[in-house]
Amino acid sequence: MSSGLSLAHEPVTKVPHGKLAMWIFLASEIMFFTGFFGAFIVLRNSNLELFSHSAAELTKGLALLNTFILIGSSLTMALSILNLEKGNTGKFKLFLGLTILCGFGFLIVKTIEYSTKFNHHIFPWTNVFFSFYFLMTGFHAIHVIAGMIPMTYMFIKAFTKKGYNHPVKVETLGLYWHFVDLVWIFLFPVLYLIFPAH
Amino acid sequence: MSGHHPDSKSMFDSYIKVASALFVLTVLTWVAALDWVPKSWGEAGNTLHIAIGLLIAIVKAYMVFYVFMHLKFDNKFIRAFVFVPIFLFFVLTFALNVLGP
Repeated sequence: MSSGLSLAHEPVTKVPHGKLAMWIFLASEIMFFTGFFGAFIVLRNSNLELFSHSAAELTKGLALLNTFILIGSSLTMALSILNLEKGNTGKFKLFLGLTILCGFGFLIVKTIEYSTKFNHHIFPWTNVFFSFYFLMTGFHAIHVIAGMIPMTYMFIKAFTKKGYNHPVKVETLGLYWHFVDLVWIFLFPVLYLIFPAH
Repeated sequence: MSGHHPDSKSMFDSYIKVASALFVLTVLTWVAALDWVPKSWGEAGNTLHIAIGLLIAIVKAYMVFYVFMHLKFDNKFIRAFVFVPIFLFFVLTFALNVLGP
């Protein structure tokens, strides 16, 4: 069981404080990304030609691969929480480790994608489409890194003598991790796929 | 904590189901984005591409919110934290696209 403090529940929702706070944070995160999507729509509608030519330069295959990696990591994250709740610490460690590996995999693919762009002399200042491409995928990648830091902490803690037995904390981190997957679910079609082929 | 959640066997099953559906829908997004709309459709074809891509994304988002993020099982109060910003998201995108230029 976790400490008395983290077991405290908010009286109206009967939800642990940390989890409720995470939902409030995620609500603000939705609006954070909404701002980018809104600006992207406005600029796309006034620069259709430029946007569809620029989007054709993106490597769709790598984005597809990254989508699969993130969905897989969401599944392993959910399974690791399930196993910790059952007290199955071995499988908890296994699935949490797999989630971290998927996070690294995502970042490696992203690095390959970015360096290919740089090699083709495509930079954030090349044009307004690429400004948004680097801004949105960059902020998303920062979110992935931010999620991996506490995840790695929990993973290392799980191997200590005391172990890591805080299911609510892992569940709260899981909420964040699924949200990062969610953002990518929208970024993938919006940036890579829905432009008319030329 | 997880008292009101279904038992872990059925949770495991729904996680596997949702993840499989997400993989299939991702492939579907890819296929839908291929160049299958006749050129003669013009702007309507582009709109169709965007609509299909976003519809699939919304279905995927719904599944992640409800199963992976437990909205289906948690207190309904929490849904307000998702619905309010999502409502604003749709108002904004709708306004920019339809009432814009």
